[in-house]
Amino acid sequence: MTSSTLRRFRHRRAPASSRQQISRAQRWKYRGASLLITAAILGFWELLPRTGLVSEIVLPPLHEVITALGLLLQQSTFYGHLAVTLREIMGGFLAGTIIGLVGGIGLAVWQPVKQVTYPYVVGFQAIPKIVFAPLFIAWFGYGEGSKVVMGIAIAFFPVLINTLVGLESVPTDSVKLMRSLRATSLQIFRKVSFPHALPLIFAGIKQALTYAVIGALVGEFVGASAGLGYLLDSYNYQLRIDYVFALIVVLAAIGAALYFIVEWLDNRLIYWREQ
Amino acid sequence: MIADKGTSAKATKTVVEAGRPLIEIQGVRKSYVTQEKTVKALAEVNLDIHAGEFMSFVGPSGCGKSTLLNIVAGLLDASEGTVLVGGEHLTKPRRDMGFMFQAPVLLPWRSVERNVMMPAEVFGLPQEEIRPKARRILTTVGLGDFLDALPSELSGGMQQRASLARVLTYEPRVLLMDEPFGALDEFTREAMNLELMRIAAETGITILFVTHNISEAVFLSHRVVVMSARPSRVAGVVEVPFEYPRTVDVMHDPQFTDLTFQIRQLLGESV
Ligand SMILES: Nc1ncnc2c1ncn2[C@@H]1O[C@H](COP(=O)(O)OP(=O)(O)OP(=O)(O)O)[C@@H](O)[C@H]1O
Ligand SMILES: [Mg+2]
Repeated sequence: MTSSTLRRFRHRRAPASSRQQISRAQRWKYRGASLLITAAILGFWELLPRTGLVSEIVLPPLHEVITALGLLLQQSTFYGHLAVTLREIMGGFLAGTIIGLVGGIGLAVWQPVKQVTYPYVVGFQAIPKIVFAPLFIAWFGYGEGSKVVMGIAIAFFPVLINTLVGLESVPTDSVKLMRSLRATSLQIFRKVSFPHALPLIFAGIKQALTYAVIGALVGEFVGASAGLGYLLDSYNYQLRIDYVFALIVVLAAIGAALYFIVEWLDNRLIYWREQ
Repeated sequence: MIADKGTSAKATKTVVEAGRPLIEIQGVRKSYVTQEKTVKALAEVNLDIHAGEFMSFVGPSGCGKSTLLNIVAGLLDASEGTVLVGGEHLTKPRRDMGFMFQAPVLLPWRSVERNVMMPAEVFGLPQEEIRPKARRILTTVGLGDFLDALPSELSGGMQQRASLARVLTYEPRVLLMDEPFGALDEFTREAMNLELMRIAAETGITILFVTHNISEAVFLSHRVVVMSARPSRVAGVVEVPFEYPRTVDVMHDPQFTDLTFQIRQLLGESV
């Protein structure tokens, strides 16, 4: 992020017209409907196992999951596992984003490098990265490092591609305007190309975040001695399905929280986005 | 540069043709070479443009008007021939020449004021020095109340006025305009034309103006260059003798009709 973009970091709300398109009454109607759906799902979750149609080992009733979640949150070891997984996610996300950003800028700015390396980047993307998980653990060990590497391996790509596409889709007239002012390449990049690419870059970053969560968990499933994925795997092995579901709830909450942070940042930084 | 009304207006009322022309286009040819074929856009163009002159270019679509303007802007290399500005060979864009496009080309993340100050920023001039001037010019073009608006919050005509303010703020000696009002409605276009003429008369800026609209060309210009179809050359140059700046009344002058007719004929012959 260029400093000039950050300096102008200010919040603007979307133009009034786009905000008011949905009336207040309508919004409440939508909210009511989605609440109803949630209630229905939770109701089924509670009732289905009780009817005996679904075994409690396959789907424990809701109240048991809630109890398990409550117990889980009281264990001090749980927070150790939580910290491990959060570190792995953040490590994979941040490093993946930086690598994707630097790589994307590099490929966009330096055409010969792009010509030579682009096929490899795409080729790498064609490999289902999960196959690397055992290798990464062999190379980087049982600890957090291999999970971070796994996260990087899947998270960098959307950032790289979106950065590249964003930088290459700068309107020619904008560049022409800058050239007519005899702007330097750096000025064109900072004042035009990068801000232009920013909305797309952010879309890539959002994807990288979800990918980093997947990377950390897959890594932990394949081989780990700590982390929420490791915990989930061991509960599964012990057939403590209520705890497995409680952990899924925790992971969903983590994913949602991280996503909303990036979404919030996105709305602040890219205040000019047109609907 | 937007000077007090009285002083500079007199000096530019009639263009001084004596002395060296400000811009000399000498034997300029341009061919576009693509993989499949070579397109000969400009056959040969020779033109002198004097300081303070308002010169319009009309011609059939695709004849090379934009090409010529881009060459004069230093954005495109001629295949042959040279362009001299103030006696100097033109090799790259000059900061005393401003370019204005058919589209406003505003940066959507910058406020109107910060868009207008962008050239000064590129030149490395202190912001605080430029800001009052930017505000003054924005007020002149009727955007005084929209300094903090984002481009997306403006109408098309307002965006184009912001674009005009941007180029005027850094006070170029030469203004190159490629169908700047082509996308605007009739009313806005007329208002912009009057505004442009007033600015031209007040500042003595030299303007090269590409348009599809013959009466717009006659109304605004000291001279209208008629270009032939591709590969194009200058089919004729029509002088417009009306006193400068003009009012819309000249459009009802029989001589005005004569001139537009003359241009139509030149265009017709060239096709
Ligand atoms: N980058 C390019 N590559 C190849 N050919 C081009 C290129 N730019 C323009 N041409 C060709 O050169 C010719 C002149 O184009 P130019 O844009 O200068 O025309 P114009 O007079 O401005 O047309 P219009 O009035 O429609 O804007 C056209 O026939 C066009 O096909
Ligand atoms: Mg054109």
